[in-house]
Amino acid sequence: MNKITERMRERAQELLAKGEVEWVIGWEKGSLWYHSSPAFVRRPEEVERLIWDDFCANNLAKYLLDFTQLEGKVALFVKGCDSKGINRLLQDQQIEREKVYIIGITCPGVRDARKARGKGPEALETIDLEERCTFCTRPEPVIFDEIINTGEKLPGRGEKEPRDRFTEVERLLALSPDERYEFWAKQYERCLRCYACRNVCPACNCRECIFDRSQSGWCSKRIVKTENEFYGLTRALHVAGRCIECGECERVCPVGIPIMSLHRKIIKDLNELFGPYEAGLDTETPPPLGTYRTEDPDYFV
Amino acid sequence: MLKVKRDKLPQVLSVWSEEAVVYTPQEEDGVSTFRPWTGQAEVTFKPGSTVLPPKELFFPRTEEMYRYRVEGQAAFLEELSLPQQKCVLVGVRSCDARSLLLLDDVFLTKGYVDEFYRRRRENTLVVALACREALDTCFCTSLGVDPARAEGVDIQAWEKDDGYLLQATSERGKALLDKVGTLLTEVSEEPPAGARPSLEVDPEGVTEKLQRMFEHPFWDDLWHKCVGCAACTFLCPTCHCFDIQSENRGNEGFKFRCWDSCMFAEYTRMAGGHNPRPTRKERVRNRILHKLRYFPERYGKLGCVGCGRCLERCPVHMDITKIIQAIKEVALDG
Ligand code: SF4
Ligand code: SF4
Ligand code: SF4
Ligand code: SF4
Ligand code: SF4
Repeated sequence: MNKITERMRERAQELLAKGEVEWVIGWEKGSLWYHSSPAFVRRPEEVERLIWDDFCANNLAKYLLDFTQLEGKVALFVKGCDSKGINRLLQDQQIEREKVYIIGITCPGVRDARKARGKGPEALETIDLEERCTFCTRPEPVIFDEIINTGEKLPGRGEKEPRDRFTEVERLLALSPDERYEFWAKQYERCLRCYACRNVCPACNCRECIFDRSQSGWCSKRIVKTENEFYGLTRALHVAGRCIECGECERVCPVGIPIMSLHRKIIKDLNELFGPYEAGLDTETPPPLGTYRTEDPDYFV
Repeated sequence: MLKVKRDKLPQVLSVWSEEAVVYTPQEEDGVSTFRPWTGQAEVTFKPGSTVLPPKELFFPRTEEMYRYRVEGQAAFLEELSLPQQKCVLVGVRSCDARSLLLLDDVFLTKGYVDEFYRRRRENTLVVALACREALDTCFCTSLGVDPARAEGVDIQAWEKDDGYLLQATSERGKALLDKVGTLLTEVSEEPPAGARPSLEVDPEGVTEKLQRMFEHPFWDDLWHKCVGCAACTFLCPTCHCFDIQSENRGNEGFKFRCWDSCMFAEYTRMAGGHNPRPTRKERVRNRILHKLRYFPERYGKLGCVGCGRCLERCPVHMDITKIIQAIKEVALDG
């Protein structure tokens, strides 16, 4: 058992046994060695289910929305990226800080489970990191009540500098408008409208999504390219300035649509228009589109 | 047994293409699905099933059903012509072949025939390809599917290192092979052994167990991790739910149907806002009950073919084999 797992179980056990929290949200093992899956533990004797390994990619922050009616507290484990999801929900006034106990994990990085297909555990070190980890500048959680730090480094990335996260955006920007439209049309042609991207996203926290009101007349339930594009653009603009770049949307898309390139284009634009901003770092700095400053560019008015 | 050499396969497909659209598994942007073969010289079949199942060739994700128009007090309906296109589907795995038989039960039996589905099914010949190798998530054999021999297809093929063994399993399949007779040779080779999936579960008795578990606390713990998307149901080769809606422009419009999922909140929301499946708990329970209880009750067979797509692409790897196992381990009084 690795040190992070050991510490997770210990702390979950204590918190539940002392009645300090009603639930602990962490990760457990699935049927395959490269499948790790969210776990919900409410009895001290169940903490043995909890694990930490290279495949604990799921951002657990969004699940806090399921516990807003609970009287007691919920504890959850967060990696660097996940912790920004908690700030997202706090800043959007979806959860109460006092009702959450946050155990941060200084994240050694997670790997791409889809790339492990067909391989055995001995191949672990050869499996690519999740894309978001190659950009990650903050493996240390930005908000926590306590922290688990075993000093491990991101596997694969080692001491290397994070990659530039706008490289792909720039590649797409260099295309002609027609080529760029072709590119996105081809991607959204295969979108299934399964809404996995929306449902895992901590910035998608509307009580009811417009796309769950297909008879509103605003959007159509037809799963066709144009309507899918409308869905993708609407969601991208709705999380503009609030997307914490956890990359979960792109990771879970069953048909591999490069959703993050769309979101990063908007982030790049926002940075250029309103100055550098990274969503979810704290709960005080207002998102660029959620505030007004007299010096904001106004050329379009 | 008949055999086609690997390098002759494109010629076979080319002959079949004269009268039909030939579909083969093809990968684009990392996602494999059945696409029209357009003369590619290289035809390869990766192990296992495609990411997207072949169901949408029979039951498209969205299709128009009829059009209408209103002029003053009069309303006019315009029927759409039924699908005419002849197709040959090449490289269907045994799991997906079984799924087509399950879809047949839904769309063609019990007194209601879906004409769109029926036409597409009748217009399509299925060439199955045996699996020599399973994916990590395959568990078809647990559901009684034989990876080496598909049910209800027209031709069964087995991959060998230098080509494909072929056997007609229906009259129409035989006619299809006759058309390419000159490209085939008669050989005395044996079909290779089928894949042996390592993932296994024994579903024996699960239906009866579930008949007594609708209100069981089991469901209270199961749903938490599910995020309520439709990845599992849309990728499932046997899921077949759809919604019917219309779209109007001025005085005219059309009715269409599109895939729907019991994992969506909107799925059971009624006029007035009441929802009999208000949370993910009831929705997860429904998906499991539909596959493992309601489908067998109505059609006498389990509604899962063990393709493993749901557990592979589910954002949280909700695993139906684990769920079946857990159901079997639930202790019931009496
Ligand atoms: S997860 Fe992918 S397929 Fe599903 S709705 Fe989002 S973009 Fe479309
Ligand atoms: S849009 Fe994607 S990357 Fe941004 S917060 Fe949502 S899930 Fe994370
Ligand atoms: S589930 Fe069975 S039939 Fe289907 S691809 Fe896997 S091994 Fe082949
Ligand atoms: S089981 Fe998985 S794929 Fe299915 S609705 Fe739940 S999260 Fe989505
Ligand atoms: S329930 Fe899952 S394993 Fe079974 S047929 Fe559907 S996608 Fe395949």
